[in-house]
Amino acid sequence: MDDEIEVDPRPLSSRRSFTLRNSAARQVAVNFMPSRQIPYNTLRLRRNNTENNALLTDVAEAADEADNADVQANIIVREMEQHHQLMEDTPDAEELRREALRELPQGLTMKRNVRAKLSASVSLRSKRKPISLWKRFKYRMSFGWKRTKDRMRDLVFSIELWYEAIRNIEGHFGSAVGSYFYLVRWLFTMNLLLSGMVILFVVVPQVLHDKPDKTVNFGFWDFISGQGWLEDSLLFYAHYHDGAVVTAGLSYYMPFAYFFTMVCLYLTCFAVLCYRTAYSYRRNFIETGGGVTLIFANKVFCGWDFGIVSHKAAEFTSTSIYNEFKELLSEQNRNKVSMPVCVRICQYMTNIVATGLVLALVVAVNWGLWHMLEAETAWAGWELAVSALLTLVVTLCPLVFYGVVKLEYYTRRTAVYVTLARTWLLDMGALMLLLVYWSRSNTDCWETRFGQEAYRLVLLDAVVSLLVLPAIEFIRALIYKLNPDSSAPEFNIAYNSLTLIYNQGVLWFGLLFSPLLVVAVTIKFFILFYVKRECALRACQPARKVWRAAQTQTVLYVLVTLSLFATLFGLGSLFFRSSSKVCGPFRGYETVYSVLSEGALRLSEHPAAATILAFFGRPGPLAFILLFLCVSVYYMRARALAHSSMVVILRHMLVLQAKDKDFLLNAIAKVSNGEWSYSPKAAEGPDSHTWKYIRDVRKPSNSGFHFDASRLSHSFGDRPRSRVKEYRPYSHLTERSKSNDGDTDSSFSWQGSSSRLAQTEDDKRWP
Amino acid sequence: MLKVACVIIIFYAFLYHSEALPSDLCRIRPKDKHCLIEYMARNRWSHQIRVFKRFREVNPDLIPKRMTENQAHTIAVPVEEIEKLPELKENPFKRRICQVFSHDGSGNLTFEDFLDMMSVFSEAAPRDIKAWYAFRIYDLDDDMYIGREDLLEATRLLTKGELHAQEREEIVASVLDEADVDGDGRLSFMDFEHVVVRAPDFLSTFHIRV
Repeated sequence: MDDEIEVDPRPLSSRRSFTLRNSAARQVAVNFMPSRQIPYNTLRLRRNNTENNALLTDVAEAADEADNADVQANIIVREMEQHHQLMEDTPDAEELRREALRELPQGLTMKRNVRAKLSASVSLRSKRKPISLWKRFKYRMSFGWKRTKDRMRDLVFSIELWYEAIRNIEGHFGSAVGSYFYLVRWLFTMNLLLSGMVILFVVVPQVLHDKPDKTVNFGFWDFISGQGWLEDSLLFYAHYHDGAVVTAGLSYYMPFAYFFTMVCLYLTCFAVLCYRTAYSYRRNFIETGGGVTLIFANKVFCGWDFGIVSHKAAEFTSTSIYNEFKELLSEQNRNKVSMPVCVRICQYMTNIVATGLVLALVVAVNWGLWHMLEAETAWAGWELAVSALLTLVVTLCPLVFYGVVKLEYYTRRTAVYVTLARTWLLDMGALMLLLVYWSRSNTDCWETRFGQEAYRLVLLDAVVSLLVLPAIEFIRALIYKLNPDSSAPEFNIAYNSLTLIYNQGVLWFGLLFSPLLVVAVTIKFFILFYVKRECALRACQPARKVWRAAQTQTVLYVLVTLSLFATLFGLGSLFFRSSSKVCGPFRGYETVYSVLSEGALRLSEHPAAATILAFFGRPGPLAFILLFLCVSVYYMRARALAHSSMVVILRHMLVLQAKDKDFLLNAIAKVSNGEWSYSPKAAEGPDSHTWKYIRDVRKPSNSGFHFDASRLSHSFGDRPRSRVKEYRPYSHLTERSKSNDGDTDSSFSWQGSSSRLAQTEDDKRWP
Repeated sequence: MLKVACVIIIFYAFLYHSEALPSDLCRIRPKDKHCLIEYMARNRWSHQIRVFKRFREVNPDLIPKRMTENQAHTIAVPVEEIEKLPELKENPFKRRICQVFSHDGSGNLTFEDFLDMMSVFSEAAPRDIKAWYAFRIYDLDDDMYIGREDLLEATRLLTKGELHAQEREEIVASVLDEADVDGDGRLSFMDFEHVVVRAPDFLSTFHIRV
């Protein structure tokens, strides 16, 4: 058997040179190893039909297809029966069984068979113990809760707004562009829910309170700038009543309603966003990567987007995969010259300088904005001009940042993240600045002015993103059609996502001061979806480079969450300071926070509680809490790093175990032929390990012992090479003695005998 | 656009799914057109109805409007017609996908096979199931190992035959170098799973929306 090994200079093909017989024998031996009998704690069955059949050839030889399937079902059922927690007659066990069946990688027919057999087996075994009342109640509660959760999930899935539209887009452009539209849909749904709540709890009572005798003197100028007639409308903070709304005998206290609705909405959104971000981060960053990145393997196995439907997109994808392969091959073939230290320092310095420049630009923009606001002239359109300028800056700055990042030395993906972060910083800085300016200005009713500002920003951004940008896209598409040499317009996912984040940020800041703003933004997102869809389908080409969407999604969620966090921080600090005395629902209160402390909790009547709360508000405890958070973050990070180094160590161990397995299987195969011998090397003395071993363990009476002086170290040349060969991908990780014959212990070697008798026995034993 | 109205309505029609589903093996609901097994991916009735509509579009003459349980696993649509589906038409692995999911390995799919296929490719399928079926799809010669020839053929299909043989050999050598942990020159399921479960994009690329 060993004599059939070809000594081949190309190591990969030498592994294929075993005979089929040998590999089948090996396979059977491997299948009986403990690592292949995966325990059903994990409830997985990895074998498939072929492997099972290999084990049962003599049983199922003459059987037709139905019997074969039946036999396999029996095997599966038998293996599942070995787990007692699966076979009980309780609803919990039933859930476990259902989960196990769901994870079974078999076809539906097989699953149905297994299900039937399992049920029969369980009902046979059930001892029919009477369940106590408490247990029955517990089961029903947990079962009911699980059912409710499933039903809710099914409800959410069955709505599937815009399902066909997104599927169409994914078919044409791939899943990356699809993920942008998913983000639009998700934000739209969240804003829709927000607007529903706001309307229900805040706007409707106010409408009931209003006297319907206002004349409608509504001009175009008012609509754009939010002043004039709109100023004292439902749109803004000033209009809301600061007392109780009484209708039909029911009393509804507006300040409480306004305060608690807003606070609850903000906090709920924050919680949902945090959860969503954490889930996305876990799925895309933690469960993946974490160790060696396998570039080629990922490219081959995850390169093709299975959702592609259009022929053009398929062509583009295969071209881009081709280009990426060529790029990777050329990178690999190029000698990896490690860059000299000074070049690397130069690159770092360039990056730092560029970051400094960008930060300076952000600061300059904010400074300019502040001065513009301060230099408020009497011109009626001044505020509109400020808003227009801010919108212009926000639209153009990402392009500037794109240009800057091209000059820096980042990888492509890091460049995208850096640009996103910088633009976000610019947007948030501007919005914070506006908030600070208006709250510090001593105008009456500054909240309405800020609300108007937010309203104007949303409106102007709608003009830009719904009219101007699509027009530019269509013009570019026209140019491309007339002149195919120019660059094709592609759907710029990063830029469009930035628009979404900016809009959402403006909404967070403005929600408190302009309740109906959320309705405006909801409508805007609705229209945006259709506009962007038409833009993509008609004007854009599929992307030339593949865009890794999953991790960018996480970054976008993080940015939205951070916007909300910044908002909460800003508004929270405002709450503690003062409230407007002239307008709004909090007129009667000293600070907005006193709505909670005086109005709801009546803390002035409970001085003890007041002192406790005041204590927590002081810097000392806050600093302590902050310190505690920092320490726990550091601890988590240290643990994560430890885990990842553990992963590296375990991977090394895996490789070594595989080599051991290889070696042992070889040995098993040879030993079963009765062909092994010990031949100590000539240079060894009688006290060497080998001789001692032969004397004490392998006594000469043993039939396998065979000392052949001729097969000593000088006959290396015709000694068959074992499979543990030099070409090992991870060989640089382990120290190996470079002995030619591949022995791990230099004192004995495996010898193959070419006796015909041994071979025919081998034939008989392994069919 | 109709769906927007449904969004509002369904929130007030919460009791739509209120009937409890018994743990029978097979439950025939009057509004469904076929027998649905209760354990299927979180009871996604809407998904299954969509799958049936898709399946029927392939060959409306062959597949009746109301399918009985028996017909669900006997009537098989030939592989050439399945490959004309828009979801599979541009896929370089379409033949192999049909073979993997068909009950007899020939590529002709019954409705149950098709439902299997769409469930595995849907969003709800767990990562391990996807990895398993991805392994079987990439294993073009069906020997439970992704060997060198499988990888060569896969790279050829991915780039539509553009790469030279030499380049393909290099790519395959790199893949085996990276992914082959036990060093036998081919990828077993363990090796493959190790690669794919940790890829950030596996879930989003191995996904067909029906």
